[in-house]
Amino acid sequence: MSSIDASTERVGEALPEPIRLAQETERSRGPWLDAWRRLIRNRAAIVGMVVIAAFILIAIFAPQLTNYTYAEQNYLAINTAPKWVIDLFPKMKEVGQEMGYVRVNNDYRFGTDALGRDLFTRIIYGARISLAVAFIGPLTSLLVGTIYGMVSGYVGGRTDNIMMRIVDIMYAFPTLLLIILMMAFFRASFSQSEYGTLAYQLNKIDAAFGGMLFIFIGIGITSWMDTARLARGQVLSLREKEFIEAAHSIGVSDRGIIFRHVLPNIMGPVIVRESLAIPRYISLEAFLSFIGLGVNPPTPSWGSMISEGAQAIKSYPNQAIFPALALFLIMFAFNFLGDGLRDALDPRATKV
Amino acid sequence: MRNLKRTSQLFFALALLLSMVAGLGTVSAQDLKVLRVGMGAAGTTVVWDVALATDTTSHTFIEMMFPGLAPRDETTGLPQHGMAEEWEISEDGRVYTFKIKEGVPWVVYDPATDSVVEVTDEAGNVRYVTAHDFVYGALRTMDPETASNYGYLPADWVEGGNAFNEGTGAREDVKIRAVDDYTLEITSPEPAGFLLQVYGLWVFAAQPQWTIEEHGDNWTLPENYHVYGTFVLKSYEPGSRVEIIKNPFWPGTESHPIPKLDVIEAVFLDASAALAAYEAGELDTIEEVPLPDLPRLQVERPDELYIGSRDCTYYYGFNVQKPPVDNVHMRRALSAAIDRQTLVEQVLGRGELPAGFFSRPNFAASATQEEYPDLGAHSDPELARQELELYFEETGNTLETMPQLTLMYNTSEAHAIIAQAVQQMWKENLGIEVQVANQEWQTYLDLLTEDAPQIWRLGWCADYPDPHNFLGDVFYSTSGNNHTNWANDEFDSLIDEAKVMTDFEARKPLYARAEHILTWEDAAIAPIYFYTKLSMIGTHLDASPSIIGIERYDKWDILG
Repeated sequence: MSSIDASTERVGEALPEPIRLAQETERSRGPWLDAWRRLIRNRAAIVGMVVIAAFILIAIFAPQLTNYTYAEQNYLAINTAPKWVIDLFPKMKEVGQEMGYVRVNNDYRFGTDALGRDLFTRIIYGARISLAVAFIGPLTSLLVGTIYGMVSGYVGGRTDNIMMRIVDIMYAFPTLLLIILMMAFFRASFSQSEYGTLAYQLNKIDAAFGGMLFIFIGIGITSWMDTARLARGQVLSLREKEFIEAAHSIGVSDRGIIFRHVLPNIMGPVIVRESLAIPRYISLEAFLSFIGLGVNPPTPSWGSMISEGAQAIKSYPNQAIFPALALFLIMFAFNFLGDGLRDALDPRATKV
Repeated sequence: MRNLKRTSQLFFALALLLSMVAGLGTVSAQDLKVLRVGMGAAGTTVVWDVALATDTTSHTFIEMMFPGLAPRDETTGLPQHGMAEEWEISEDGRVYTFKIKEGVPWVVYDPATDSVVEVTDEAGNVRYVTAHDFVYGALRTMDPETASNYGYLPADWVEGGNAFNEGTGAREDVKIRAVDDYTLEITSPEPAGFLLQVYGLWVFAAQPQWTIEEHGDNWTLPENYHVYGTFVLKSYEPGSRVEIIKNPFWPGTESHPIPKLDVIEAVFLDASAALAAYEAGELDTIEEVPLPDLPRLQVERPDELYIGSRDCTYYYGFNVQKPPVDNVHMRRALSAAIDRQTLVEQVLGRGELPAGFFSRPNFAASATQEEYPDLGAHSDPELARQELELYFEETGNTLETMPQLTLMYNTSEAHAIIAQAVQQMWKENLGIEVQVANQEWQTYLDLLTEDAPQIWRLGWCADYPDPHNFLGDVFYSTSGNNHTNWANDEFDSLIDEAKVMTDFEARKPLYARAEHILTWEDAAIAPIYFYTKLSMIGTHLDASPSIIGIERYDKWDILG
């Protein structure tokens, strides 16, 4: 009986042998397969997926793609650019031309920054940060938010009331302010802690990840409330459905009902919600790094690279525009994919 | 009715338009000379209180508004006649008698009439600057209740001042007095070659007792801010903008001639934003040029780019109470691992000189590393690693277990680049991973005073051209500018001994020894480089770029 979920309920009602048929339909065209088919019919979503896949590959194979490290400073090649970049930007003129000031160095694919670091290397390593945030953000949000919301909605009554008030309180803090405060607090109070303490260990881990740990914690703490509310709402509407009652009546445990029957049914909307939120996490990290509260230098993040490049934008536009382009690409890709997922997983919405 | 109303509306609009055109006409008829200056970093706050200001931005304004007795000429650094028309020095070189210029009124900006007005007392008489105001000013700066970081400076050079400053002596015993309304007499505990320059500083300038006592901390608001110099504060938006206007009552002195400008408008912008505004013609001059734009400006605007000397030193200080920089070997290792030559030549490239000593080499009594090549800090990775080993041996720590290090600097694009370059040098030469962090200027200064981080960045600019201003005024154990928590008896006694000697050559070896203690033996600081000044000055300006830490815009003019 455990295979009675939303899909079998829908398909199975009209059929004489519900369980066997249900298993068959599951194999041929279950709801997830349907969704997948709808997704790959969406061109924009495909483009998004390809771009994301490309960035994931770049991030994984970053060390193989470049001869430099992201922190390596070459003081003899400060603020240089290769020929094609100079040709690309009409404002940049190479040394030797009239009014020329840009030193040409074709060893670096996108040029170098104010400390002689390879821009290309920094951008591909920066993809690691943005992608990590793009996956860790929704993951914590999904884990914490969904479980929290489901428990709250399923148990109901006073527990529900208290749990939702906590969410309300969390909501009352402006997210950005809270996260800025937290980052400042972590950095200031953990950075000079004694050896062996928890704060020391946390800071050590954070330093090892180039400052990403605190970004994850910050995003994690501020991102799960939306999901919790959504999950709770879904559970409330599902709780009264017949198949849940049926499960109850044959003695399935609460945990069984929540994870076997409720969870699969609310995953669609929750995933859609989270995939649409990914660009927000990416831009939040970029913003934090831009204002200097994100990754620790010299770890490259597109946000901090744009911030550093913006200082030289009149003389060396490539230093800001290339990382900005990367950020722009990945934000678009995730937006396209998010839209595609919404259309695929929520077919009712598309028909409207 | 309706029609009539519309006509009247039309008439009103026309009248408004006409009055606006007329208004424009009058402004252009007056032809105000407005100098628009791009300063400091965005968010810079100005400390208007003469006794409390410690930074060059604040002093830039204070120097114009509160001319001292014998202010420095900004192009030579030598004292000129300011508020003191003449002075006499007693034979033992200890008593200075200044004749104060008469007929200089205290003034304030009056928003009601949008003009500068003279300040009057209760009886309605104009208040003129007198010797009593100078006595009050110096005493207020050294008063322990004022808690000025610069309190030690006047206290050091007036007999009885140190006791008063430390809270053990009485105000009455400080030997600065007004003989009459226009005669000021200062007695120094010892004679020194640079006494006149010290007495010429803003810490000895007149301060308006009545408004300070009436308004307390609020005396620096434009409506309470009584000044007497070339310019008057009109409006101040913290962190973004200052507007000062010409004081029509200022009679002019050798050091502060009658200004030709009418208004100086200063905006606080980050270097790159300031340059963008300058290139768009929105600013006439900017005080800082972003590092990456230098090569382009050298070819595109060579006539406007100014590169000159500036009497300042850039250094990293250590808080010697915080581990691991409480250990001298760790400090030496960090200092020696900084490749100063590469930093100034490759990363900065503005003609700075690498610094192993703290005081500028160009003063008469300065010891230089050319004369004493074995002393002071040196950039030497091998030596740095040896010192690090000694640290590990002494403390039992390893790279893994040693406390984490944070390097802090005030928010600025150039400081960020230097910090990241040094961070990388420490990583490559020592294997130590240091975190870098930054704070906005005023917050940063407060932090340094209250609880300095392990490693911090500062620059020091000469108040008067003597090594005592660097070694003595900054790192003497009791100095308010010493944020290292470091004190050394031998260093203090060397400074005490050298400051009263009049023979410059004889002072040099003492200062060389003091430098060596400060920068290597105890390594309380790591000097990094000697500044150059870099700014953009519009070709339509008649400017006199300064070699002292501050710019004297009140002497500038707009041509044409």
